[in-house]
Amino acid sequence: MSDLSPLLHLSALGVYFHAIFVSLTLGLPLVILSLLIQYARTNDPVYLSGVRKVTAVLAVNFALGAVTGTLVEFGLIQVWPGTILVIASFALAPLALELIAFAMEIVLLVLFIVTLGRIRALYSIIIIVLYWAFALFSGVLITAVNSWLMAPWGTGGVAQALYPFMPAYGPLYADAAKLVALKIVLLASGSPLQEVLQVPEASSEIGIILTDPMIAFSNPYALASILHNLTAAIIIGSGVALAAWGYRYYKTGDRRYLQLIKAFAIPLFILILIQPTVFGHFMGTMVVQYNPTKFALMEGAEKTFYNPLIAFLAYGDPNHPIVGFDQFYAQCDSMKNVALKDLASSLGLSKDYILDLSSKLGISIDPKKLDQVLDTSVADVCRSDLDAALSRMRIVHYSYFTKIAFGIVAFMSAIAIMSVLYDVPVLTRLTRGILRINSGDSERRWIFILASLILLGAVMSSALGWLVREVGRKPWTVYGLVYPSEVVSVSPIAYQTSFVLVAAFIVLAVNLAGLLAMYIVATRELRFLDLLKRGLGVRG
Amino acid sequence: MDLSAVPSGVLVGLLILQLSVAIHVVFVTITLGVGVITALYRTLAVRRSDPFAEALARRSSKVLIVSELFSGVWGTIITVVLAGFFPGLVALSTNLLFTPIAISIASILIRIPSIAIFWYTWGRIRPETHVLIGWVMALSGFGVPLGFRALFSEITHPHAVGLYLSGGHVGLLTAYSNPLFWTLYLHTVLATISLGGFMIASLETLTKNVRGVSIGVSFGLIFLVAQLLAGPLYWLSLRYYSPYVYQNVTFGSFMPLFVIKMILAVILLIVSIYTWAMTSKLNTIPRLTWSLGPIAATIVFLGEILNDSSRYPYMVVTGDTGISPVAFSNFYMEIPLPVIYIILGFLVISIVVFSVAAYYALVKMFLREIPEEVEV
Repeated sequence: MSDLSPLLHLSALGVYFHAIFVSLTLGLPLVILSLLIQYARTNDPVYLSGVRKVTAVLAVNFALGAVTGTLVEFGLIQVWPGTILVIASFALAPLALELIAFAMEIVLLVLFIVTLGRIRALYSIIIIVLYWAFALFSGVLITAVNSWLMAPWGTGGVAQALYPFMPAYGPLYADAAKLVALKIVLLASGSPLQEVLQVPEASSEIGIILTDPMIAFSNPYALASILHNLTAAIIIGSGVALAAWGYRYYKTGDRRYLQLIKAFAIPLFILILIQPTVFGHFMGTMVVQYNPTKFALMEGAEKTFYNPLIAFLAYGDPNHPIVGFDQFYAQCDSMKNVALKDLASSLGLSKDYILDLSSKLGISIDPKKLDQVLDTSVADVCRSDLDAALSRMRIVHYSYFTKIAFGIVAFMSAIAIMSVLYDVPVLTRLTRGILRINSGDSERRWIFILASLILLGAVMSSALGWLVREVGRKPWTVYGLVYPSEVVSVSPIAYQTSFVLVAAFIVLAVNLAGLLAMYIVATRELRFLDLLKRGLGVRG
Repeated sequence: MDLSAVPSGVLVGLLILQLSVAIHVVFVTITLGVGVITALYRTLAVRRSDPFAEALARRSSKVLIVSELFSGVWGTIITVVLAGFFPGLVALSTNLLFTPIAISIASILIRIPSIAIFWYTWGRIRPETHVLIGWVMALSGFGVPLGFRALFSEITHPHAVGLYLSGGHVGLLTAYSNPLFWTLYLHTVLATISLGGFMIASLETLTKNVRGVSIGVSFGLIFLVAQLLAGPLYWLSLRYYSPYVYQNVTFGSFMPLFVIKMILAVILLIVSIYTWAMTSKLNTIPRLTWSLGPIAATIVFLGEILNDSSRYPYMVVTGDTGISPVAFSNFYMEIPLPVIYIILGFLVISIVVFSVAAYYALVKMFLREIPEEVEV
């Protein structure tokens, strides 16, 4: 198998750019909605101007979000086509429902743009609320799919059979025997899953592997991820508007920018206070429960250790040990006398059945190689995967704690800016004293600095949080079940350096050009309209 | 083939796929064609300081800003339906048609943002730079069919797939040596610009702009005449390389649809020649001009239905026979059809909302050509 790192990095590049645009897609509607409400209440045109500006940025951003989403989707089916099996089963219901969200998002955004300023503000408010609801619904569904990769709900104890330290992932709604048989065919043939899936009639030969199509929605990991990720995205998206208008206020001293900031400041600050404390904690407990290796990587627990604070937060018990890799290895060793053939036979799978299945699927397996695979000790597989996970400890551990630090920066900055913008008893005097805010100039400067720190803290903690989420899942693509090498493309083109470089170049060029365009739309004045005005017979 | 052997879930998948492809292709064809004419007139406007060309380019680009993302939705629907209902076909295509699919994805990646950037940076950046963005927007669009039409050619005449199944080597560009591909691509490109021109002609009737109508109808007519060569060429290539499809379209169950399409093409030709003559010689817009765009769009819609449905009951045609959709279908779980019907219901709602938005934007002129001045 070729080195998969370039393809993994290419996918990460696409996902990160998509995350930037999705954050704005989810966050800017909060700003637009708040400004529209103020406009409806006061009829002050400054709010409508703000709405127009943010809407223009949102429109360009939405186009970029849509295409990067398409890129990620195609990236999955083209570079990682083994995921087609997941898309056609566990993820089908969320992805199919996502079509509703995506279609409605687009038509409502177009309707909002077309009618803005031409209809009553109340109707525009209704349209943007509906748009936002569908955008959030889209986020809910995609996060549900990603969460299934993190905690494959409905597969029961399949992963636990190989890795005794893992929990059961809900009730068993999958056909464990078929999944294990497929896995053994892949291991023995050395082929990725695409080799099987592309064979005509493969699906009917394999048959039903999932009995509850809606299982992805029952995943408790999904609920925590949805709350955690979507609020983070809203904070980043509206944080961009906060920092941008904070900068304009600092540079110009024009209090209209402050007026715009205050329109959406309170809901934004409430989210910043709730997101890490309530939703972040909820997410953390899910990681503890369902991703034991990831939690150990985050805490740097190569060896089991005691820390009352972390133990209390993670397990609700200050005396609980922080379970490390030493215990995982020990649990692997308890399976020393169990071979894959024992697991297979416990599911009713014989060597003949596996050979017959592979022959029906047109996959050639050397019987000797199959024997080798079946004789493999479960403990060896378990230990080898733990080694692969452990090799990522440094990056996950430091990323996690850096993320926490940036989160604290955003949290503290939010409290500080709140007490500068509003008169909060005690806190305002305290903050102004600490920051030495004693003039209009220093107030403007600090509003800009604190707004920038909120944005920086939110962006960094989200980016690093996503890194922890994805790298912490490795060495699996589906936690405890499937490796990246099993879902990668069989096409030799995918491994060519020229393909990866050209793809990376296009992704970078389009996204950076898009970001530049958004900046131009947000900052440049209209200067080249004379020709158009003459063409349309408009005076002035 | 016994049609009753096709499970209802597979039939539902085929129907949704067929409808989505036809809707998607109509919208994409409109926006690709309008995109080229828009970029051309923006260039002429800047080079000649021509206010009329500038206004025409701006008016026509409203079509792009309103409909491009909506056409993209249907592309996403196609992808999800394919992967959900026919995972085997997707797995096979992403292997053997890796290059064409990559070309399409790259083109989509460039095309959609460039439309939004083209619209929203108008007047904010140097006109010469803006013209360049316009051409990036216009030309990148043609990369989409350059990729995806290879897939259509393969399922009508499996060239790369045939090579692969017989143990041959499938290279980087094997799909492009499919003899059906280039005639289909030529047919598509000409249809695109022709439909774009007719759409502009129809929309220019709303502003009663004789010169605008004349330009639109000229593009439509020139490329419609070119289709008089490209259409039969594709039809003949089907005769040689995909006799099953040729037979179905020409003499089989799809013949009535084919005849309707031909009649509409003749009507379009007559109305467009009449409109061209009236606008260029007498400087008036005939009443029927508004119908040019809708007729051309209907022809494209029927053409796509013919192109895809005539493979039925096969999904991949191999000469006189083919491979059933059942061979590629999803039997990994029972697809919950009520969920699919709910989704279809919402998609109908989305079409209604889109129509309202398009009506207000293009007919009621809510979407103004002059960008709104923003003070803050």
